[in-house]
Amino acid sequence: MELLYTLLLGFVSVVLINNLVFTKFLGICPYIGVSGRIDMAFGMGLAVTFVMTLSGTLTWMIDHWLLMPLGLEVARYVAFIMVIAAAVQLVEMYLKKFIPSLYESFGIFLPLITTNCAVLGLCLFLVVWGTGSLIEAVVLSFGGGIGFTIAICIMAGIRENMRMVDVPESLAGAPITLITAGLLALAFMGFAGMI
Amino acid sequence: MMIFAPVVGMANGIVLAGLIMLGLSLTFAIILLVASEKFKVPVDPRVTQVYDILPHLDCGACGYPGCSGYAKAVIADPQLLGKCAPGGADAANKIAAVLNLQISSSGPAQRPIVHCRAHTADRTFFGVYQGIPSCTSANALANVQACKFGCLGMGDCTRACKFDALHVVDGLATVDYAKCTGCGACSKACPRGLIQMVPFSHENMMVVACSSKENGKNTRAFCQVGCIGCGLCAKQSDAFAVQDNLARMDYAKFEPNGQNETAYNKCPTGVIVYRGKSAPAPREPKAKQPAPTS
Repeated sequence: MELLYTLLLGFVSVVLINNLVFTKFLGICPYIGVSGRIDMAFGMGLAVTFVMTLSGTLTWMIDHWLLMPLGLEVARYVAFIMVIAAAVQLVEMYLKKFIPSLYESFGIFLPLITTNCAVLGLCLFLVVWGTGSLIEAVVLSFGGGIGFTIAICIMAGIRENMRMVDVPESLAGAPITLITAGLLALAFMGFAGMI
Repeated sequence: MMIFAPVVGMANGIVLAGLIMLGLSLTFAIILLVASEKFKVPVDPRVTQVYDILPHLDCGACGYPGCSGYAKAVIADPQLLGKCAPGGADAANKIAAVLNLQISSSGPAQRPIVHCRAHTADRTFFGVYQGIPSCTSANALANVQACKFGCLGMGDCTRACKFDALHVVDGLATVDYAKCTGCGACSKACPRGLIQMVPFSHENMMVVACSSKENGKNTRAFCQVGCIGCGLCAKQSDAFAVQDNLARMDYAKFEPNGQNETAYNKCPTGVIVYRGKSAPAPREPKAKQPAPTS
């Protein structure tokens, strides 16, 4: 029961209160780049969630069972980024085989998940947060992905509606998107202190 | 010896770290190798074959994003054969061979013809245009030049051409037929619709290089080399026809014969010219006839 409570709290925390996009400003590149349409944004969110869960779990295992006992914490960054790159390759192959339409619409952004700082950021935050057990690491990394999906889907919904709005000419395009992102981040600050 | 101790300690760490990274990368390499075999996507070998035949110019004349897009489309739907303008009949025949199809000959290759022959010196202007240097914006202005039909010479077609085959020479868009692939981008770019894609049945085609539908008097007033719709050419040869004060060559009927040659020589303004790879220089217009005395 105690464990379930901790996990639930951790999940809510990483999805809403410590949302990687809104409070840590990580993963902004796909957040702005792929949030044009809500279906694509959702697909991107799912791909990132998958990569995050996989690489978060794997990096936690490598960190706790391999690097920390040997005192090789310095090698964290190199090892983590390698895990992420391999996971992205896997996702890419899987999508190419089973969901080619999604693969085509992602284009360059799919391989770019490799360099999505939200993924590496989460893996390193798991260390900073002092995640103690494997199950906790799995839940937190899954939550990080869900948080990213929520953020990018909210953004895509707003941008779909914004297409019908008369935006001042000087703000049309990227500027209004960035302003929206800022306002959204402010709104999510309201969750701070909930836990 | 003490001074080396930390270095030795560090060296041990390096070996260990290196070994661990090596082990990790080997593990992932094996996983990816297995996955790449398991998730292999079989590609239709014909797509590669068709793609190799296409000219790899990615000009978009076929309406598909690049040559690879067209290769996929043409295999799915053989009706699309022959859409590749730069490849021409040659590419179409080869693709048909790959797809096991027979095609009837698709006629001569299409090439653009600019229906205007007035250089800057031949034209009349009411003022100096100093706006955005593009034909599309200049064309929005009334009276940007006296001729409402002629070439504006600001090079929208030049910018549309991916093959460096179209240049504005003395204010007139001029096609370099040696470089032209017939993709048709220029004919879409011209806001005045001067550029028409024409089947080049001969190396040089005879062309009435004017688009003015004004009557003869008005055309004479603003252009030295415009078509005045006098109909002399139509009297000489069936290939010409005059409509709306403008003579037009029926390109399907064109043959380099004596009748057409006579029409070419008789044209009072010299607006009938040759266009093509080795076209001779256009004739000078004849001096204006003195008004007939009655």
